[in-house]
Amino acid sequence: MKALPKQTISIFIGVIGFVIPFFLNIPGLSEAGHVALSIFFIAAIFWMLEPVPIYATSILVILLQVFFLSKQGVLFPEATANYSPNPYTDFIGTLSNPIIILFLGGFVLADAAVKYDLDKNLTRLLLKPFGDKPKFIILGLMVVTGLLSAFMSNTATTAMMMTVILPIIAKTDIDDPLRIGLALSIPFAANIGGIATPIGTPPNAVVIGALSTQGIDIAFTEWMVLAGPLVIITLVASWFILLWMFKPKSDFIPMDMKGTFQKNSSAILVYVVFGVTVLLWVTETFHGVGSSIIALIPVAVLSLTGILDKDGIRQLPWEVLWLVAGGISLGISMESTGLAEWIITSIEWSAFSTIFMIIAFSLVAIVMSNFLSNTVSATLLIPLAVSLATSGVAGEGFSLILISLVIGVSASLAMMLPISTPPNAIAMSTGTLKTKHMTRAGFAIGVFGLLMVTLYALFYWPLILN
Amino acid sequence: MDGKIYILVVEDELEVMEALVKDLEKFEAFFPVETANNANEAQQVIEHIIDHRNKVGLVLCDHVLPGKNGVDLLIDMQSRPETSDSKKVLVTGQAGHEDTILAINKADLDHYIAKPWSQQELEEVVVRELTDFVIAHEKNLLPYMQILNADRLSDVIRKNKMTDH
Repeated sequence: MKALPKQTISIFIGVIGFVIPFFLNIPGLSEAGHVALSIFFIAAIFWMLEPVPIYATSILVILLQVFFLSKQGVLFPEATANYSPNPYTDFIGTLSNPIIILFLGGFVLADAAVKYDLDKNLTRLLLKPFGDKPKFIILGLMVVTGLLSAFMSNTATTAMMMTVILPIIAKTDIDDPLRIGLALSIPFAANIGGIATPIGTPPNAVVIGALSTQGIDIAFTEWMVLAGPLVIITLVASWFILLWMFKPKSDFIPMDMKGTFQKNSSAILVYVVFGVTVLLWVTETFHGVGSSIIALIPVAVLSLTGILDKDGIRQLPWEVLWLVAGGISLGISMESTGLAEWIITSIEWSAFSTIFMIIAFSLVAIVMSNFLSNTVSATLLIPLAVSLATSGVAGEGFSLILISLVIGVSASLAMMLPISTPPNAIAMSTGTLKTKHMTRAGFAIGVFGLLMVTLYALFYWPLILN
Repeated sequence: MDGKIYILVVEDELEVMEALVKDLEKFEAFFPVETANNANEAQQVIEHIIDHRNKVGLVLCDHVLPGKNGVDLLIDMQSRPETSDSKKVLVTGQAGHEDTILAINKADLDHYIAKPWSQQELEEVVVRELTDFVIAHEKNLLPYMQILNADRLSDVIRKNKMTDH
């Protein structure tokens, strides 16, 4: 007999997972909760085994919720004792959640920046002060990568920085550990830098989206104040770790990045729009205009001026928006059907201290996202954290924002394997390093990150949030 | 990867063939090298590659061959949809003016390497042509970063709006 392809088996397992709850009667779980559990199973299995792309699973989630859990669906036309069904617009509405619009603005900006080589030229400019000593070149590369990936996709930033470091690597002795340090510094800095702003990377969006469905809005600046210091300290620590593990032999790196800023009127407009938008985002506390509202400015200006044309609009990474929207949507049902609370209350939380829960959530998020997509890991964990906080079982002082941050940040701290993040995959593909190098350094950063997240959650975040 | 990408070498002189294959060694792990001694055999090899849903990424072809000549083979490949995008390089010392013009106009010749070639020249041509080929035909460029022009591949990845998940 011919073995079934992995894809078919994964789909089969997912469908089985979907069907099982329909035949069970779980005490303490509402009828709608059973349906939500079905959807949770198929989503989790599809997201983990990936028989279909992860964004396709998100779309499936929204479809299933509209059909089976909404007021307009087939199962719950009327409110029951335990479940007042959400209108279907709640589920499809996640696509226009403020965080999605904020991301759209970020995509459009990043797209224009790449089109006019703003990212490359900024890199050239910002790297200059770091001189030509390997130690400081690596620091410079990490700072610039971190900074750019806070506003652009981590993956695009890594790809761009590869064009900067590959010529250096080519000129370095084949047995100089500097090559490995260089190749690892970029993806690591990109992964870490993504944490710094709400638009840095999709897991942040999942966290902010989940909080917004709970009526908690996190301002752009607030996020930066919460996450920024952690990003800086983790970046610096990663720098030390890389220098320590891969001590450079050569003491001079020839840096000759060529290029000039484009000076045509479109390019200048892009620089201005980029600068103004970022400035308005980071000054939200002063003017009070929400970041999602400001995000509409670049979208409008760049399309009005034709810099974002029809093809440009078509080529935006819409699948990321679907992915995040599906995640937010799943969270809504896990909440409203009581599923998340049921999962939470099946564990005796009062036996655990707050510090234990912080470490547990952070560790689980880091481990999960080493193997799964960071966004998926955050998506699967956030509803549990939300219930833990809102149901009150975790006791007083267990802050919803705090535990959400722990999950969101931790999901980006996974970088042990080539499959952990797309930036890791890019670095690996250059052939300059082996998986064991990435695993060693990624492990050290993961452990340090876990420690930092715990300390921040215990001391720094409560200070800011209260 | 959607199927393998082959390098096809067509050359009738055994020693020259051996030298070419030896110079292509470093590509072998990423792009399997197939050989043929004449145009007919080349057609069969191409047939075989296409039947298995693989692609001919690059053909390095001598001009003077027993039977049909190299330029005619390239023109045939150009007229076939499956191989019209394959990168076509003549490796020869004896293609006359007219044949060369024919190869450029009718077979969309990508490069002409005059014998004797240097290994460095050959590698540069192979890297450049295959980089063009994978950029045009492959969705996932990462597997080729360490063998082809990583700089150009990274830039395409950057512009293709690869995203985080």
